[in-house]
Amino acid sequence: MIDLSVEVAGIRMQNPILVASGTFGCGEEYSPLLDVGRLGALVTKGITLKPWQGNKPPRICETPAGLLNAVGLQNPGVDAFIHEILPVMKGYGVPVIANIAGFTKEEFVEIAKRLTGAGVDGLEINISCPNVKSGGMALGTVPELAAEVVEAVVESTSLPVIVKLTPNVTDIVALARAVTDAGASALSLINTLLGMAIDIKSRRPVLGNVLGGLSGPAIRPVAVRAVWQVSQAVDVPVIGMGGICRGEDALEFILAGATAVAVGSAHFRDPLAAMKIISYLESYCEENGINDWQKLIGAAWKNK
Amino acid sequence: METECRADAQLSDYAARVLEQVAVAPGCRLLTVSSPGLARAASPGQFALLGCGTGYDPFLRRPLSFHRVDLKRGEVSFLYRVKGVGTQWLAERRRGDVIPVLGPLGRGFRHSDRGKRGLLVGAGLGAAPLLFLAERLAGQAWSLTVLLGATTKTGILRADAFGRFGTVKTVTEDGSTPKKGTILDLLQEELNGGGWDTIYACGPRVVLKAVQEISARTGIPAQISVEERMACGLGACLGCACRSASSPGYLRVCREGPVFDAGEVILDD
Ligand SMILES: Cc1cc2nc3c(=O)[nH]c(=O)nc-3n(C[C@H](O)[C@H](O)[C@H](O)COP(=O)(O)OP(=O)(O)OC[C@H]3O[C@@H](n4cnc5c(N)ncnc54)[C@H](O)[C@@H]3O)c2cc1C
Ligand SMILES: Cc1cc2nc3c(=O)[nH]c(=O)nc-3n(C[C@H](O)[C@H](O)[C@H](O)COP(=O)(O)O)c2cc1C
Ligand code: FES
Repeated sequence: MIDLSVEVAGIRMQNPILVASGTFGCGEEYSPLLDVGRLGALVTKGITLKPWQGNKPPRICETPAGLLNAVGLQNPGVDAFIHEILPVMKGYGVPVIANIAGFTKEEFVEIAKRLTGAGVDGLEINISCPNVKSGGMALGTVPELAAEVVEAVVESTSLPVIVKLTPNVTDIVALARAVTDAGASALSLINTLLGMAIDIKSRRPVLGNVLGGLSGPAIRPVAVRAVWQVSQAVDVPVIGMGGICRGEDALEFILAGATAVAVGSAHFRDPLAAMKIISYLESYCEENGINDWQKLIGAAWKNK
Repeated sequence: METECRADAQLSDYAARVLEQVAVAPGCRLLTVSSPGLARAASPGQFALLGCGTGYDPFLRRPLSFHRVDLKRGEVSFLYRVKGVGTQWLAERRRGDVIPVLGPLGRGFRHSDRGKRGLLVGAGLGAAPLLFLAERLAGQAWSLTVLLGATTKTGILRADAFGRFGTVKTVTEDGSTPKKGTILDLLQEELNGGGWDTIYACGPRVVLKAVQEISARTGIPAQISVEERMACGLGACLGCACRSASSPGYLRVCREGPVFDAGEVILDD
């Protein structure tokens, strides 16, 4: 069998297929349906310092080829995560990346400190969540502020630090450069696009939170563009995500410059999406006689 | 026909083949699929996510409760209203077509297996999950009264089928059945008779909220089947939140529900 293994931010993965934060629970939810241990890595739901209730419903609204969500970072807080959720996630034998969300720089640092040595393999800093009022995306849209957070987290932990970027900015490359200079070892892109929907019968916004984050195939071209631009501008690996549903989509992101990809909303349509994508990549490499699949990374701009 | 991802798994994404699809009322359809594995695994009050369409639009699966299960024949039925794009697609499926059906999902109705007196309250499409429950309870020597309410006569669904498992009483708001009024009027009359062990209810939120209030006031235990918009159906995305009554925060309708004890949740508007 072809070797699809890859290293991202010093984290060794058996293949480049991850799950996107917030879409796959702690793995346990999907485990009756598939072998969670086949994934490249698991990524947690956003973790805050204190338990967080999340937004009032409705939190989900289907849109053309995708959905809006306004879950709003519901999670039991970092301490409960470490004691109750992490042991379950580690049981699958694949790396666990903790997606962390602070409302201030100090909170990001505190969460990072508590997770250091707790057993996670890396941190994914979520400075891009559109569903919370402060922190979240606000910190992630101004390059200087984002860089400050990243620098503080990098200093406070020995874990690899991946930074997840929002597409809701004018210049994602400037943001990518700023956080890479501040010490990020990899970048995840993209988080959801800010959107909303109005119910024409009630004449009111559909989501309890009014605004939500758009995900699914509808945002794929935006994500491919972001990966294409950012991967050419920085030297750290990029984890690509946004609407990946099929093996062909994953390949498109890799060709655009992603070293690994994450599958999110696709699981809502097909719970086996990530498994099928892994199988596709294996047979694609075999059928095309590709021994070193990493030659495909960024091939779309490398082979001009 | 069906496929199972793992031989030991009950929860699976079954490729269910359509056996029959009939209109039971204007805009309401009864869909029966063949899926022996799903039929074996399903319990009353649980639901499945049905994949609708072949492209990405509609993108999400649609939650439907199990309406009936025929274990011997390996058949599962859904009773649904054609509402938007997803259910419209389902309505166009014909015998032999295959529908991806992820299930069984969620926590269904809880009940004692020694016969008691049960009151089933089905408002409109709320009748959907109750037939499976009625059959199960009747099989365990429960004595049942089934209340079915709708705005008009054609909205009273499956009264004959319910009649095999208990006494059926119907009510319509426009008086097109002998009794005119709301299902809550009918429920109040039955409660005046007394002697009920459990109320099982499904329907619009106003009805469920009234049942919660009645249960709290009378002390009769009640269970309600709640609806919320869903993405994963598995408890992973936290999309289907319903406010918890016992602690700050939310419960997942797809996991801790969809059937809740009446006092377990707060139904916001
Ligand atoms: C646990 C559960 C069991 C259900 N059982 C039944 C049943 O047995 N029979 C039946 O007729 N209906 C049932 N419903 C409601 C049914 O899921 C919706 O009517 C259906 O999803 C509408 O899809 P659509 O594409 O036709 O409508 P659209 O309005 O086009 O749907 C748009 C989006 O909103 C969602 N949505 C719309 N209405 C509802 C709703 N009431 N609850 C949850 N999501 C909704 C859809 O799933 C979809 O994502 C149930 C809902 C839940 C949560
Ligand atoms: C229901 C839901 C919850 C999400 N929660 C988080 C989260 O907690 N933290 C985060 O960084 N991203 C979160 N995301 C964003 C995804 O991780 C991903 O970046 C985005 O959905 C794009 O990928 P997709 O189109 O494949 O879903 C969430 C997405 C969805 C749909
Ligand atoms: S629908 Fe995803 S948690 Fe309930």
